[in-house]
Amino acid sequence: MKEDLMDIICCPLDKHDLDLEVDERDDGEILSGTLVCTECGESYPIEDGIPNLLPPDMRDEAPA
Amino acid sequence: MTRPDLADRRGVETVYGAAEDSILLADAAVDDVSPEERVLDVGTGSGYVAARVAETGAEVVGTDVNPHACLKARDEGVEVVRGNLADPFRDGAFDVVLFNPPYLPTPPEKEWDDWMEHALSGGDDGRRVIDPFLDTVGRVLAPDGEVLLLISTLTGVEEVRDRAGSNGFDATVVTEDSHPYETLLVVRLTRRDD
Repeated sequence: MKEDLMDIICCPLDKHDLDLEVDERDDGEILSGTLVCTECGESYPIEDGIPNLLPPDMRDEAPA
Repeated sequence: MTRPDLADRRGVETVYGAAEDSILLADAAVDDVSPEERVLDVGTGSGYVAARVAETGAEVVGTDVNPHACLKARDEGVEVVRGNLADPFRDGAFDVVLFNPPYLPTPPEKEWDDWMEHALSGGDDGRRVIDPFLDTVGRVLAPDGEVLLLISTLTGVEEVRDRAGSNGFDATVVTEDSHPYETLLVVRLTRRDD
């Protein structure tokens, strides 16, 4: 993900802002890291350059 | 009414590739979207629609619940977020929201528990995913924003119009494409003035 994506994403649960913690960066692209809600503290992983902003109860759910 | 079972439409794929419906939505979106506009493609799947719209100079983000779709769309060059509908996006963030949803009515006994099923089946009435989308999409739309939603006559056009209406939207048909068992339509939703 690009860092300016931060302007439009939010916590899927309470819609508050997210803090970005970068683990790995390549040029402008954030490859891995964590997004943490500034309100509820829930954390969301960034893996393979893709932020996973599914609510925690849907994260490991089988499809359908 | 007969049409191919979902099972017959499925190979071993985990991501729905671009088909007639994707092309119809992409064509309508390319006509509607202006450069610089911010666009969300919900259920981006292969990323086909998002990539087509990005060519116009719009700033496009794709989202999908399916992790395989997210990877595929990313490989198409689409900026992608894994999420449910428009849940992880800020209020008023988008000028245009696009959605080619799972819209085929599917009785529970015919449902398969896999990602392709999830991309195609709209549940018993075809509106299992469309209804919650219509109930929540207004939050992420800019004040003059619009939604382009692909549906089929099998989905129930009046039911979709009513649900959109109860969420404060006017619905107009932008384009349609007739097939043997259904007509595909792109519906534009704009906020009703009141």
